[in-house]
Amino acid sequence: MEEVGKMVELISLILFFFGLYMIVSLSLNLEFGYGGIPNFGKALSVLTGAIIVGGILNRLLIWYFGVSGDFISASSIACYKLTEIIIQNPLVGLGVFLITIAMAMIAGAIVGALSILPSAKLREDYLGVTLLAISEVVFFITYYDVRIIGGYYGISAPDILAFIPGEYKIYAYTVLAIVTGLIIYLFLERLLNSPYGRVLRGHRENEDLIKAFGRDIMKLRIKTVALGSALAAIAGVIYVFYSSNVTGNAFTRVEWTFYPFLILLLGGKGNNKGVVLGAFLFVLIRILIEFYKFDIKELLHLPFEAVWIQYIFFGVLALLVLCYRPEGLLKEKPIYTPPIKSKLQN
Amino acid sequence: MIQGIIIYYFGDAMVLLETKNLSKSFDGLKALDNVNINVEKSKLTLIMGPNGSGKSTLINAVSGFLKVDSGKVLFEDKDITNKEPNEIYDYGIVRTFQNPEPLKSMTVLENILISERHIGEGVINALFHSKWIKKEEEMVEKAFKILEFLKLDHRWDHTSKSLSGGQMKLLEIGRALMTNPKLIIMDEPIAGVAPGLAHDIFSHVIELKNKGLSFLIVEHRLDIVLKYVDNLYVMFNGSVIAHGEGSREIERVLNDPKVIEVYIGD
Repeated sequence: MEEVGKMVELISLILFFFGLYMIVSLSLNLEFGYGGIPNFGKALSVLTGAIIVGGILNRLLIWYFGVSGDFISASSIACYKLTEIIIQNPLVGLGVFLITIAMAMIAGAIVGALSILPSAKLREDYLGVTLLAISEVVFFITYYDVRIIGGYYGISAPDILAFIPGEYKIYAYTVLAIVTGLIIYLFLERLLNSPYGRVLRGHRENEDLIKAFGRDIMKLRIKTVALGSALAAIAGVIYVFYSSNVTGNAFTRVEWTFYPFLILLLGGKGNNKGVVLGAFLFVLIRILIEFYKFDIKELLHLPFEAVWIQYIFFGVLALLVLCYRPEGLLKEKPIYTPPIKSKLQN
Repeated sequence: MIQGIIIYYFGDAMVLLETKNLSKSFDGLKALDNVNINVEKSKLTLIMGPNGSGKSTLINAVSGFLKVDSGKVLFEDKDITNKEPNEIYDYGIVRTFQNPEPLKSMTVLENILISERHIGEGVINALFHSKWIKKEEEMVEKAFKILEFLKLDHRWDHTSKSLSGGQMKLLEIGRALMTNPKLIIMDEPIAGVAPGLAHDIFSHVIELKNKGLSFLIVEHRLDIVLKYVDNLYVMFNGSVIAHGEGSREIERVLNDPKVIEVYIGD
């Protein structure tokens, strides 16, 4: 019975992170898969969502409940007070969640739009490195300055699902992450199977040509990265609420930039279905490795620490995909708008 | 109005594009040196000259891909000097590139459709199909007509990377036509194209010219292109060294010792 319970918990964990990585990878697919914008600062968007919970929502709660003391302790008290209210009134939890999501999306869009401004002067590789650098600078400031979101000490987050008994909460968050991921998938499918998706792909293939045909490519980039960052910020919010706390070191470039890129490579960039498949496979493999890493080390007599198995495996996987299946598991398909579809049928 | 009457009575051609003393230097090297050219309406204007004479620099400057140091570019008497390429497009000027620039992973049809701006390219509009579907239907119909005209319609659903070099050049022309331009600037439209197809391309160009379109072309393959040309400019070292209008004048320019010298020198 205990084994079954553990297995269900494991499946739930896989599905929860599948939901989160689906959101982040789909947002990256919008920017990079369709638009060719190498957003190596993806982790910054997720971190923005976390800052909105830990840094902004907590401060609003401290102010609302009139709690005094240092920021970290006051946050804990304010979050506890809100949790007490949510136990009595679940709608408050839902309201706080939706308001936080809205704030995170706005902040994500602003941060995304500002971070892409260097693309006016920089192209591809240099832009990618600059975005990575911007993201890293914000990451380290957030990690070492405890005033933002508690830095390396971490900070409490309100339990927005406090009305659900503890043992079922993980399943509720799993449903929340998956449903949000699916909504974003449907949203992007509708958004991108349109002339907007077409012009984004055109930008990816040849931005000079798009410019020659009357498009303001800076506007195109700004609105695309703003939207992508707004969507990725949602993942940051859900992750923090799920963890019920936030620490600066949870939003590393490996977790929230490189892994989403790997998912795109694996699933197939420019194909939302491929990205969903890639996210599922990635999370499945990753969590299984995490759970069974010591068994794997023992079985294969690996001469290094078990903790490195994951990184080595995904590094090798990225190389294999790039060499043998650069288009990913599901190849990109042309955008067939309804009038084109009808030509196809004739 | 007055200009139109003058053109009508005096048989003069209407100037569509005009450059006035256009100059551009790269690290002290003059790529354009006080270049003055006129492109007339419904005419095919050719710029010829040896490599490095400034032809591509000139069309990059006119189409907004290069900022000039001094001088002016006027289009229908409006100053378009140093405007961005997307702004220049709004005046009815489109260009093709020296190397064909197909959007390789996109289909031939998508390559044609992308050249015209679309209401459905806005993030909000894209979500509401009803806002852009009519425009899309019109554009798809128009794109198919252009593909038929260029004899590319049978390849509409293939990726453009599967086209031959000549077909890619035709695709470039198709993209330009989709925008209903007033002036098409073409950078070496028949470079690397078999002679038969090169003449086909120019027969399409002439057909369009007769419908009122104007062309500014840079081309090296004079054996093919000269028979279609109305106006000729010869450039060397960033300057226009000869100009002829009409077949007799063009003949004179081609026999000009200065022109012969720069070509033999090349």
